[in-house]
Amino acid sequence: MPHATPDLLPGTADLLILRTLQTEALHGWAIAERIQQISEDVLQINQGSLYPALHRLEHQGWIEAEWAVSELGRRAKYYQLTPSGRRQLAVETRDWERMSHAIGRVMKLA
Amino acid sequence: MNLLDLKLRARALFAPKRVERELDEELSFHIERETQKLIEQGVAPADARRQALARFGPVPLAADECRDQRGTAFIDNTIRDLSYALRTFARAPLASFTIVATVGLGLGIVTVVFSMLNIFLFRIDIVPDIHEMFVVERPRDANDEWPRFTRPQFEAMARETSVFAGMFAEMSDIDTRVDGRMMAITLVSGNAFQVMGVRPAMGRTLLPADDDRAAPQPVVVLSDRGWERRFGRDPKVLGRTIIVNGAPHEVVGVMPPGFRGLSVSAPDLWAPLSSLVEFRPIHRGREDRVGIGIIGRLKPGMAAGAARAQLDAWESQSAGAATDDRSARIVLVPKRGTVPQPLEALVVFSPLFFSFGLILMIGCANVANLLLARGMSRQREIGIRLSLGASRRRIIRQLLTESLLLALAAAAAGFVVSRIAIDGTLAALLPSIPPDIGNINIAAPPADWRVVMFLIVGAVISTASFGLMPALQATRIEPARTIRGELIKDARPGRARTFLIGLQVAASALLLICSAVFLRSAFASATVDPGMRTADTVIIEIVNEPKRAAMMEALSSDPAIVEMAATWPDLLGFPRGALVQTAEVKRTAAYKMVGPEYFGVLDIPIVRGRNFADHERAAPVAVISETMARTLFPSSDAVGQVLQIDADPNSPTRRDDEPSLPARAFTVVGISRDVAGFRITDMSDAGIFVPASTDTPRSSVIARVNGDPELARQRLLDRLTIIDPNMGQILTMRTMARMETYFLTIAFWVTLVLGALALALTVSGLFSVLSYLVEQRTKEIGVRMALGATSRNVTRLILSQTARPVAFGLLAGAGLALALATLLIALPAAGAIADIIKVTDPIAYAGSLLVIVAACLLAAAIPASRASRLDPVQTLRQE
Repeated sequence: MPHATPDLLPGTADLLILRTLQTEALHGWAIAERIQQISEDVLQINQGSLYPALHRLEHQGWIEAEWAVSELGRRAKYYQLTPSGRRQLAVETRDWERMSHAIGRVMKLA
Repeated sequence: MNLLDLKLRARALFAPKRVERELDEELSFHIERETQKLIEQGVAPADARRQALARFGPVPLAADECRDQRGTAFIDNTIRDLSYALRTFARAPLASFTIVATVGLGLGIVTVVFSMLNIFLFRIDIVPDIHEMFVVERPRDANDEWPRFTRPQFEAMARETSVFAGMFAEMSDIDTRVDGRMMAITLVSGNAFQVMGVRPAMGRTLLPADDDRAAPQPVVVLSDRGWERRFGRDPKVLGRTIIVNGAPHEVVGVMPPGFRGLSVSAPDLWAPLSSLVEFRPIHRGREDRVGIGIIGRLKPGMAAGAARAQLDAWESQSAGAATDDRSARIVLVPKRGTVPQPLEALVVFSPLFFSFGLILMIGCANVANLLLARGMSRQREIGIRLSLGASRRRIIRQLLTESLLLALAAAAAGFVVSRIAIDGTLAALLPSIPPDIGNINIAAPPADWRVVMFLIVGAVISTASFGLMPALQATRIEPARTIRGELIKDARPGRARTFLIGLQVAASALLLICSAVFLRSAFASATVDPGMRTADTVIIEIVNEPKRAAMMEALSSDPAIVEMAATWPDLLGFPRGALVQTAEVKRTAAYKMVGPEYFGVLDIPIVRGRNFADHERAAPVAVISETMARTLFPSSDAVGQVLQIDADPNSPTRRDDEPSLPARAFTVVGISRDVAGFRITDMSDAGIFVPASTDTPRSSVIARVNGDPELARQRLLDRLTIIDPNMGQILTMRTMARMETYFLTIAFWVTLVLGALALALTVSGLFSVLSYLVEQRTKEIGVRMALGATSRNVTRLILSQTARPVAFGLLAGAGLALALATLLIALPAAGAIADIIKVTDPIAYAGSLLVIVAACLLAAAIPASRASRLDPVQTLRQE
């Protein structure tokens, strides 16, 4: 099952979503928008695969959803991190840092 | 899996519409928000929506991927497993049917026993907080007597002790003729229903005011059964009356179905204890000495042990208590409407369970054999699935689903079999019960939830142990080899097969031997001569002394009666033990009081001397039997001698209301021929007869009648119940003489049906295994024949496959039967049975073993002949 666009490293979509939700609850569109903005349009989550990823994270118990009124004035599904989602984010962040550090060294020295 | 996940799955499962709607809303919000953004960036609204959709990609695909995350895979898998299992059954319908039918049959038969056991052991009465209910009992004393409480003691206990929140007295199992029909009555103190805390279905229960000792109210409360039996469930039964002993009693209430008054089976009606004399005229004047049961509801929080200690202390203080033996203490026995000694009942039921269970075992052995044979093709299929990437867990789940389905089908089949077996047995049994041995009320034991649980658990265990195990083993195989057709070593089940056939033959042998033993004993018993006339004689019980004179007048003027004699105790009662002394001997012996007509009515010849004369009904004369004459007067002629009889006060047959002997010293006037008697009662014991008349209190009547004794019995009942509506039983001696044969015949039929079932299952199992083997060895047989083996050689080859397990089984079965027989004879209680049932009858053994050998030969003959007729050329060409 594809979770992210080919231009994202596999598995990083989860990390990005969790990280985006670290400070506040967001709906799906806002998550995609936030990732795009912060990465200065470098990272673009495939909008179609965003929702399967969100639903999978929800089933894993890392995020939970709540319906609330959005900026458009209509109901939207807001996602927020659960405690176990925060733990998962910490684990994935550490893994990512180790990995990017390793890749960085290889790129410099190889 | 976590809680959140579970919640989401549950929602997806139980509110699928809502979840779908939300998914739709979520995705459409995204599109709308994206459109909004594009519009804000200056795109034309019409274009904006198109672009937003294009960026998102195909919406249904995204929605589908979201649905995949929901994880309702478990359900989907189960549905897939089920349909796969059903397809497997459809592919091999005969095998599936055989499993369901054989396990169902065996299980149904075991369930018959369980349904009965359920009534006695597990069917707790419907009474609130029944765990608080206890019977207060005194333990048995040194003479094995059971000193019971009396009503004054009950009242004192109720006043002076405080362990019970409430307690009531009861006197149960009073069988009385009500409106000409025997009914079971329980007398209770007025507060009984309040203490039990039960409500009537109609009207009211008995109340303390009904149980006024000075003026007992003539009221009764019907049980559901009594309502049915006496009033045919008449909805307007309240206010109607029943006549007991000439006095009307009003029906004031009906209890709901299922309520049994804390006993195993409900009485027909309850009446106030104060009406005792109405129901039991015998007890007139001794109401305070009659034994009663005391049942109490413990106070909340009161432990049974503490309550027992308090009651014990009360009993030792209370005046008049027999304080000679203080080792005897009060016992509190739980009262739940079940048998109080569950262990004893289990022991009684265990041989039944065992023999019925044998059928289940044989059936399961068949199934196992079948599956061992099928295991090969199954292994191949499982091998393919494993190599296609199915996980072992997935396959085991599939197999589990399959055997669970089979188990449920088998449980359903078992239920049907058990109902048919119970109803069929009762339909066959009830008409065969002689009408004169009382109003036997056998209702088919209802199937409650316990029976259903038993069926399901039994089915799961049997199909799992015999169906699942072989299949599980198959998952441990190496896929690559099985697809090539190579089988693992464990899957060559020759040994297991031999063992299973042997086991089946042994079980069939055991059952058939039992059946043959019963049959032979029944024949032997039918030819036993009790030594007295039984064809046209009847026993008439007299229970109501005030009515005796009127009854005797009616009897003596009745044209049906040819001749009648008084007896005490009655013909089936234990003769009274006494100390007897003659000039030569002093010993204990048993005596009976009989009228002069006794010997004539029963055709017992007086071999020496004379009978009592008509005027000697209270004279000090005696007639003794030949054996007694030899015992008491070993060296001289008994006639004319004197013997002294003292009723033995310690005799176990002592009664507190027995008629007294007319004298102590009796002159022997005659010697009667020995009477063998019925082997199921001890009546041959009496060797001394002293005179009595029909006025002798407590005596019964033995009469010779005209024509068919059953018709005469009916006629006498009709006539006598007018005089005494509560009169006791009238029994024909013909029934008594046939009783022994009757029970043996029932035992014969039960074991015959079981044995025939066992043999049929064994033979069909043997047949299918041999057929399978012949098929499997076609090639080998072809080669043998091509190399010059004759068809006789081939037949012998196949038969030799059967001979060993069958021989082993026969030996084991016969050995087991012998071992059980020896064990049975060794039991002290079985001494009497050993006379009647010849447990080691060689003809019975040989006969049943021959039947089995013949049946097994028949089962082997068809596959063997098929093998011998194989065309070697054709078989070899097939390869």
